[in-house]
Amino acid sequence: MPSVNVVNGKQIVVENAGLAQRLVGFFTKPFLQMWHHQDLIAAILRREMSERFKGSIAGWVWAIVAPLLAIAVYTFFFSSKLEMPAMYSVTKNPGVNYALFILSGIVVFNFWSEMAFRAPMLLHEYTHFIKQTIFPSDMLAVISTLRATAYTLISITVLLIFQASVVHSLPLTVLLLPFILIPFIAFLVGMSWFLCAIGAFTRDAGYLMINVAPLFMFATPVFYPHTMLPAPWDFWIYANALTGYVEVMRDIVLLGKLPDLRVYLWTIATSVFTFYFGYWFFDRYRNVIVDVI
Amino acid sequence: MSLSTSSDIVVRTKSLGKAYQLYARRNDWLKQVMFGWWKSFFKPFWVLRDIDLEVRRGESIGILGRNGCGKSTLLQVICGMTLPSHGELRVTGRIAPVLALGSTFDLELSGRENVMIGGAVLGLKRSEVLRKFSSISEFAGIGDYMDQPVKHYSMGMRTRLAFSICAHVEAEILVVDEALAVGDAAFQRKCLDWIDNFRKTGTLLFVSHSMAEVRRLCTRAIWIEEGRIREQGDPSTVIRNYHRALLVEKDDVHRFSASE
Repeated sequence: MPSVNVVNGKQIVVENAGLAQRLVGFFTKPFLQMWHHQDLIAAILRREMSERFKGSIAGWVWAIVAPLLAIAVYTFFFSSKLEMPAMYSVTKNPGVNYALFILSGIVVFNFWSEMAFRAPMLLHEYTHFIKQTIFPSDMLAVISTLRATAYTLISITVLLIFQASVVHSLPLTVLLLPFILIPFIAFLVGMSWFLCAIGAFTRDAGYLMINVAPLFMFATPVFYPHTMLPAPWDFWIYANALTGYVEVMRDIVLLGKLPDLRVYLWTIATSVFTFYFGYWFFDRYRNVIVDVI
Repeated sequence: MSLSTSSDIVVRTKSLGKAYQLYARRNDWLKQVMFGWWKSFFKPFWVLRDIDLEVRRGESIGILGRNGCGKSTLLQVICGMTLPSHGELRVTGRIAPVLALGSTFDLELSGRENVMIGGAVLGLKRSEVLRKFSSISEFAGIGDYMDQPVKHYSMGMRTRLAFSICAHVEAEILVVDEALAVGDAAFQRKCLDWIDNFRKTGTLLFVSHSMAEVRRLCTRAIWIEEGRIREQGDPSTVIRNYHRALLVEKDDVHRFSASE
C-alpha cells in the first residue's frame, strides 16, 4: 500500500489520525466532495438533463405527459367496482381514488427503479472520463440521482395539481415533502454508489436489477395498502426499505396526516445507513474500479 | 518515512510500482472482493517497478520507451488517476493531464458545451471557463464549428479544441501523452510554442515518439523499459542510446523469427 500519496497538494491517504478525527472525516467526506466538485456536478448535470430527451421534438413535455397518461389509465381502469378501504376514499369516484392512491406510491417507486436500472451501468457510461482524466467518479451517482430527482419533482407536481383539482384542496402536510424526499434521495445516492461499484466489476448487477426491479413493484405496497396483507407479513413488507418511503409519502400527500413515527424513523435509519454504506463501499473499491472498468 | 519538504521538487516518487490484478478465472475478482482480507486471488502483473524519480520545478522531462513499456501508466499514476501499488508518490501543485485528447468529448454536444464540461473536469470553476472562453476558442481556431456538435469535427479539430482547453487550465505541472501527433504542422508549432512558453513557469512531463520534439522541449530524458527506468539524463545521450537499442532489438526480432 502507498504510505504517502499526495495529489494537487491534498493528501489522499492520511494515516495516524485519531479515531474521532477519522469518524468525523468519514461522515463529512461525501458532503465535502460534493461541495468541492459543485461546478463539475452542475456542468455534467446540465448535459445529462439535455441528453434525456435529445432528438425529441416535444422534449420536456414527455416528463409531464407520462404521469398524466398514468392518471388517465388508472382512473379509467379502476372506475369499475374495485372496493378500497373507506379511509382512502377522498373523492366519490373510486377510479380517481385508486389513481391517486397508486400515483402517490408510484412516484416513489419510479424514482427508485430509474436509479436501480441505471446505476449498475453508470460507470461504464463514463469510462473515458474515469480512465483519462482526474475524475471524481463518486459524483456520478450524485449527478444521476439529481437528474432523476428533477423528473420525480415534475411527477409530484402533476400529481398535486391533479389532486388539488379533484379534491379541491391539498393537505397542509404536503409542506413536509422535503422531509421524506431528502432522506429518499440520500437512500438512492447510497444505493447507486453500491450498485455502480458492483456494476463496474460485472454486468450481472445490471441484469439482476432488470429482473428484480419489476418484482419489487409488487413487493412494495404500490398497488395495495399493506394493511390488506395478513399481519405476519408486516416484518417482511417493512424489511423492503421502499415500503416506508411509499407509506410516508402517501400519508403526507394523500391522507394529510403525519406518518407513523416508527415508520418514519425506520426510513431515516435505512437512508443514513444506505448512504454511508454505499459511500464506504464505493470509496473502498474506487481505485480497483479504475483498473477493471 | 519522512519526505523532504523542499518546495523545489514537484514530483517525487520512491520505488514506485504499479501492478494490475490478473485473475486466472473470470469470476475470481468476486472472491477477491469478498475474501481479499484473507488471501489474494490474483496474480500481480507489474507494469511499473522501482521508479525513483525527482522532478524539479521548471524542468521538462521527456519520457521515451517502446509501446507498452509503462510510460502512460507512469503518467496516469503521477496524475493520480490510478493509485500506485507500491512505493511513495508526492505531487505538489495543480496538475493538468493532456492524455488521449478529445476522447472525453460528448459527440452530440457542441464544442461550446464540451468546453464547459471539459473545463469543469479539469477543475476550473464555471466563471473561470466563461471568462477564458474567447481565448480558448481563439487558440483552437475552429471558428464557427464551435457551435456545431463535436461529431461533425475532424480528428484534428477535436485535438485542437481539447489541447486548447488544457492550455487554459493554468496548471503548474503539465502532463502530455503523445497528444500532438494528430494536429497539422501549423497547430503543432502553435502547441510547441505554447509549451515552450509554459516551461518558463511550469513543469512538463512529456511522452512522445518524436525524438525531434523531445530534443527540442526537454531538459532531461528518461528511458523506460519494461516498467523500469533504464537510463536518464541529457536528452541527446539518452536518445542516442535508445535509438541504438531499438536497432539491436529489431535485429533481435529478425534473428528470432529466422531461427523459428
